[in-house]
Amino acid sequence: MPDAPPVEVRGLTKRYGSTVAVEELSFAIPAGRITGFLGPNGAGKTTTLRALLGLVHPSSGEALVMGSRYARLRDPIGTVGSVLEAQGYHPGRSGRNHLRVLAVAAGISVARVDEVLAEVELERVGRRRIGGYSLGMRQRLGVAAALMGRPSLLVLDEPANGLDPEGIRWLRTFLLSFARSGGTVFISSHVLAEVAQLADEVVIIHRGRLVAHEPLAALTARAAGGTVVRSPDAERLRARLAEAGVEAVEVDGQLRVGAPAERVGEIAAAAGVVLHELRPQTATLEEVFLELTAGESQ
Amino acid sequence: MIRLVRSELLKLRTTRLLLWIGLLILALAVLVISLNIGQDSISHLEEPSAQHGVVSFAAISALVALIVGILDSAGEYAHGTATQTFLVAPLRERVVAAKALAVALAGLGLGVFAAAVTWGMAALWLLGRSVPVHLVSRGMLDLFLGVLAAAAIAGAIGVGFGSLVRRQTAAIVVALIWLLVGEPLLSVASLQQYGPAHAIAAVVNAGSRSSELLAFGPGLALSLAYAAVFCVLGAAAEKRSDVT
Repeated sequence: MPDAPPVEVRGLTKRYGSTVAVEELSFAIPAGRITGFLGPNGAGKTTTLRALLGLVHPSSGEALVMGSRYARLRDPIGTVGSVLEAQGYHPGRSGRNHLRVLAVAAGISVARVDEVLAEVELERVGRRRIGGYSLGMRQRLGVAAALMGRPSLLVLDEPANGLDPEGIRWLRTFLLSFARSGGTVFISSHVLAEVAQLADEVVIIHRGRLVAHEPLAALTARAAGGTVVRSPDAERLRARLAEAGVEAVEVDGQLRVGAPAERVGEIAAAAGVVLHELRPQTATLEEVFLELTAGESQ
Repeated sequence: MIRLVRSELLKLRTTRLLLWIGLLILALAVLVISLNIGQDSISHLEEPSAQHGVVSFAAISALVALIVGILDSAGEYAHGTATQTFLVAPLRERVVAAKALAVALAGLGLGVFAAAVTWGMAALWLLGRSVPVHLVSRGMLDLFLGVLAAAAIAGAIGVGFGSLVRRQTAAIVVALIWLLVGEPLLSVASLQQYGPAHAIAAVVNAGSRSSELLAFGPGLALSLAYAAVFCVLGAAAEKRSDVT
């Protein structure tokens, strides 16, 4: 389905016995962008991603990749590359042979194995047994496996786990470059600062349910709600705002106003007050996340 | 399907499992054949049936192939590689079928190796004790062909059983308990010859007659039926399960 969103989840519910991991979850992510998938531990992120990739059977609803169930994709790893948490390796097999096994099964040339090893900078250790790899090297090997089929969609579950700062920077640069070249990235992470640097939009779930899905900038602006104003005539502006019933406080030479930017701009214009800055007050992703998922025991 | 079988064969070749298994067969063959021929009387060893009995140790390859099959399928969960296997090949029943074919081929290889090692060891010991060697006969050929078939079928049964249980250690323990305790208990109801191990033994015993075993044809048919049933059950279990 050419017009289908890369990832679409419709009314997904997954129960394990009496435990509900995901409940009536629905969202779709756009192509060519990086979408962060956030939620506290146990929120249902991994279950959702595994349902998307056909590893977990939904109790009801469905999770689709490019409009199809994963098992019905004609070229699964050529469509979506995935790096999942708790993805295992045989410790006695070399990284290169691990990729060769996948390549042969998918009908991909073995030459591609060396290409992806070079892409993730593992070519020097490719012939070493995986048992001797660091956690970061295993994560890179997982990324190499995900890239093998040259997919247009990457699904990553906590890919930064175990990566050192250099590895995290490498991953960030890589994902941004992948998205710039038209690829779609759907990434779950608990490292909010990392997602904030990467994501164009975010999907936040809490106790298996959707709590937010919107562009990152809109989310952080909406969550804060107020406006930041800088003016050489701040006192007069504050008085006019107070007359209009709008509260404003001065912080570090700026006015923090408890009204939308449009209303503040109109009041300032009516009063003839010059403004040097007028912008929505934003909250950090972490602040928004904690506000939306308040009450979750970690 | 051919790609999946090639991939599964590559999995088997790219770890040291088969090397260790080969060394195990070699060590056991040296031990058992040395004890048998070294301690037996010359007059008994001169009988072709006695030499046939010694070389039939090659049937150990069927037990080994069964364990390789279990390790190949249940081992995917022990090492956590099932995730990537099913991401590349999401139709899980095809993966089970490919594994069964690949391990059956590996079983053939193990059978050839075990037959060669036992035959060679027996010949050396017999020559060393100046016993006339009767190791080239139609009966010996039947034995070796039976061993190859039995190892291939046992490997496929191992894959099916491992897929059904999906816990490596538990699957091996249950299989061994069945062989040592469960199947002998069938004799209470005179059903022992229909158990999986006895059906496979009937395949190994090709060309010989035994009151405890089915004839070769029914034994082969029953062994293949066991392999098919375990693989179908294993595939159904894999298909239903969540890979978490």
